[in-house]
Amino acid sequence: MKLEKDQLVKFYSLMVRTRKLDNLMIEALNSGRMAGFYHAGPGEEAVGIGACTFNMRDDDYLYPHHRSHAIGFTLARGISPKGWVCRHFDKNPGEVEGPTAEERGIFGISGTIGGGFPLSLGWGITAKKNGKNQAVLSFFGDGASGRGTLHESMNMAAIWKLPIVWICENNQFGQFMPIKDAFAREDIADIAAGYNMPSAVVDGQDVLAVHEAVEVAVQKARAGDGPSLIECKTYRMRGHAEGVPDVDHVDPRSEKDKEAWRKRDPIVLFKENLIKQRILTAEEVSKIDKEADDEVAELDKYQQECPVMVPSDASILDVFLYAE
Amino acid sequence: MKQTVYLMAINEALEEEIKRDEKVFIIGENVQQGTFGVTSGLVQKFGTERVMDTPLAETAVAGAAIGAAMAGFRPVADMMFADFIYIAGDEIMLKAAKWHFMHGGKVNVPVVIMAAMGGGMKIGAEHSMCPEALIMHTPGLKLAVPSTPYDAKGLLKTAIRDNNPVIFFYNKGLLGLPGEIPEEEYLIPFGQADIKREGSDVTVVAISRMVHMALEVAEKLKDKVSVEVVDPRTLEPLDIDTIVESVKKTGRVVIVDEDNRRCGVTAEISAQIFETAFDYLDAPVQRVAAADMPIAAGFLEDYVLPQPKDIEDAIERVMA
Repeated sequence: MKLEKDQLVKFYSLMVRTRKLDNLMIEALNSGRMAGFYHAGPGEEAVGIGACTFNMRDDDYLYPHHRSHAIGFTLARGISPKGWVCRHFDKNPGEVEGPTAEERGIFGISGTIGGGFPLSLGWGITAKKNGKNQAVLSFFGDGASGRGTLHESMNMAAIWKLPIVWICENNQFGQFMPIKDAFAREDIADIAAGYNMPSAVVDGQDVLAVHEAVEVAVQKARAGDGPSLIECKTYRMRGHAEGVPDVDHVDPRSEKDKEAWRKRDPIVLFKENLIKQRILTAEEVSKIDKEADDEVAELDKYQQECPVMVPSDASILDVFLYAE
Repeated sequence: MKQTVYLMAINEALEEEIKRDEKVFIIGENVQQGTFGVTSGLVQKFGTERVMDTPLAETAVAGAAIGAAMAGFRPVADMMFADFIYIAGDEIMLKAAKWHFMHGGKVNVPVVIMAAMGGGMKIGAEHSMCPEALIMHTPGLKLAVPSTPYDAKGLLKTAIRDNNPVIFFYNKGLLGLPGEIPEEEYLIPFGQADIKREGSDVTVVAISRMVHMALEVAEKLKDKVSVEVVDPRTLEPLDIDTIVESVKKTGRVVIVDEDNRRCGVTAEISAQIFETAFDYLDAPVQRVAAADMPIAAGFLEDYVLPQPKDIEDAIERVMA
């Protein structure tokens, strides 16, 4: 399906917002006004946004991954970023308008790498049992390709022809481990053959290429033709998490490689493309960038005004141990 | 009332719940044939969509059931041997136990993880465990450990209807145990201990297969000592009140369980008794549990797992 102009603009707008929210968290954590983990993902925006924005129905299931703490996926699914921002600052966002993550088929991100495969298998079983042509999009990084859960889940999904699209966001590093030393083949997509599953390798810096490859796989899934595997080649521009060494095993990562990938920044590539194709003017692009800046500043202000969750709300934490 | 056996009581609970709720299905390795008989015959009645045979893949079996539970189903995953839950540690201990909490109560995980625990079959260290303490130690998981056909059926039906993850450990040493169950439907609420034998001199808290060993010893000693046997039936939630009440009456307590002694279920119950009923005790709490070593196979099993003589000796110690 050919995308309309407003859809192309949306891709750009979502990628820019994702980048800016990523930057907000990097700044907040490094300046000490936020506590905890942050796993930034600048340069990888095209994968989640390209895959999810126009290929998913409201009732589909999505397993995102931990990079950028899934903010690109959140925005692509039409979920307000207020909860996401507030939670990082231990603030209570109150009632947030729009659908919740759960209402868009996102039940969480595993704290263990590879923990998403078996759960996604469960959503695939659910989708098939529901009989409403729902699809499951399940993302994983190159690092997760080392987990046995991948084999168990992909095998079962293939046997039962479940409507799951497995999408590998190969950013070439699992913490400090380069994928070339962690996987026996050049392409992770090659494992699909072992499960009789179609696969594709796409340029993860090209939001349209990702969209198109996933579109084909989602159509197959909805038609009852079973799972597919799509590998998106991208690159991790920062360390695994903020504040940890950015190394290749023990040595600093190659600046030359980083520079080469920086030239292939998905936002810059897409922007140039939009201008070249006369879909947007440079002024219109600047306007979108400015709107995104304002929105992120507004979100930061919003979280600052929200009440702190601890300690007054901590007393109710055990309420969430068990469901009614 | 009607006569049945332990494994058929479990089978009936599954059948009734599959019939009652279209969201219930069973998933696991060889559940259509049934390794222990508890799921046997159901595929012929309900088809392969409700009784799903999987490849040998315990991690994904548990994870898939947990995922489907989050998305609105009420799956029963049969892990076959309780020892095998270790293979799905992330799925059971992290995902099922924590995701309701982690997501502020917005995600429910109404899954039952079912497995056969216990010794008696003498089949060795990785097929005989009672990993109850592992589950009891993990906040967010409920744990049912029925000792009779009546309890097994009533507790399993409650487990399937619970909106939380429930670990249901049936005991493979009790599969053929006869007993009576009502003709009509019934459920047993969690967190209600059952006094399996009334007595006045010593309280024996016993779990699962150990209930029957305790009853056997109580009967043997009946002319010398009056033994009360308390069966907690669920370990999370734990009905400590009924246990403490019995201890207040008798002043003496022996706790018997088939899991390891160190950091085991007996240790936890003992600590809770000391914390809440110390002033009522006429003797230190005594524990009978598996030795802190792998369960040896064959006849050597008897040297590791609790035996009737161990319970008898413990009763003698508290009565001395």
